[in-house]
Amino acid sequence: MNRNSDDPRHPWMRLNAAARAVRDPRDTAAPFGFATRIVALAHEHGMVSLLERISLRALGVACLLAIASVAANYQALLPGSGAPIPAHGIHEEFDASPVRDAVTVVLDLAD
Amino acid sequence: MPDDADPPFDLAGCLERVRQRDQDAARDLVEHLYPMVIRIVRSHLPRRVPEEDLAQEVFMKMFTRLAQFQGAVPFPHWVSRIAVTTCIDHLRAQKRRPEFRWADLSENEADVLDAVMTNERDVPANDAMAAHELVHKLLGQLKPDDQLVIRLLDLEQKTIAEIAGITGWNQSLIKVRAFRARRKLRKLFLELQRKEKS
Repeated sequence: MNRNSDDPRHPWMRLNAAARAVRDPRDTAAPFGFATRIVALAHEHGMVSLLERISLRALGVACLLAIASVAANYQALLPGSGAPIPAHGIHEEFDASPVRDAVTVVLDLAD
Repeated sequence: MPDDADPPFDLAGCLERVRQRDQDAARDLVEHLYPMVIRIVRSHLPRRVPEEDLAQEVFMKMFTRLAQFQGAVPFPHWVSRIAVTTCIDHLRAQKRRPEFRWADLSENEADVLDAVMTNERDVPANDAMAAHELVHKLLGQLKPDDQLVIRLLDLEQKTIAEIAGITGWNQSLIKVRAFRARRKLRKLFLELQRKEKS
């Protein structure tokens, strides 16, 4: 028992020698429909991968466009940029709005 | 005399057609490689994993990575490496290894184990199946990578260079793993012998 386990007389090696004599009786041919299933799955997987690739590319393009638009409008986005809007101007703009709601029209007619 | 033998499989032509998305060629390729893949899967099959599921995984990886195949090694070797690495990944995922106990052995297996440990004779031919089962149970005590090396080295009698080709590991690493695995096996046999005596 004090032999090395790579010694041919070691129990392990004698067990292996006996085990090698066993022939596997099981069939090694592909089961019916196996190849068709694999090919269908691989095709499906290929289509999904293509979609994934296109989606990733579209995401990349969208990110680039977003970055480009931020860069192009950077000055406008900075605080304090552009002309300050006076407080009274807001009211004037509101009053000058051409859009009038139905209630205002009815009240104007009543006057 | 009429030659009714099948013509040799045109692997290169088939691969070319598979690359052009020919589904018939893809089916032929799977059927041609299945015997080799299933033999690898059966010899390295992890517990509770159906062999057909594992074979399916191997073929799916083969098709997914087909564009990466450069022809540096023969195509069947490339596929066999995918099969081996797929099996080893499953073995690694099974963190717990079953404990080896005398009580779990069949009567025949216990007799064979007792015989190899107490005498120097070869295992009789009619006990080969029991020896085969014992080898698999003992291999199950090793770490997945060590298990693979010892299975290829001792059971399948591959050379270190062949194992390097199959696994993609360098030869020094394989020797280290073989040394470590054999040390563990030696320890296991000593423990078994001690238990048997007590």
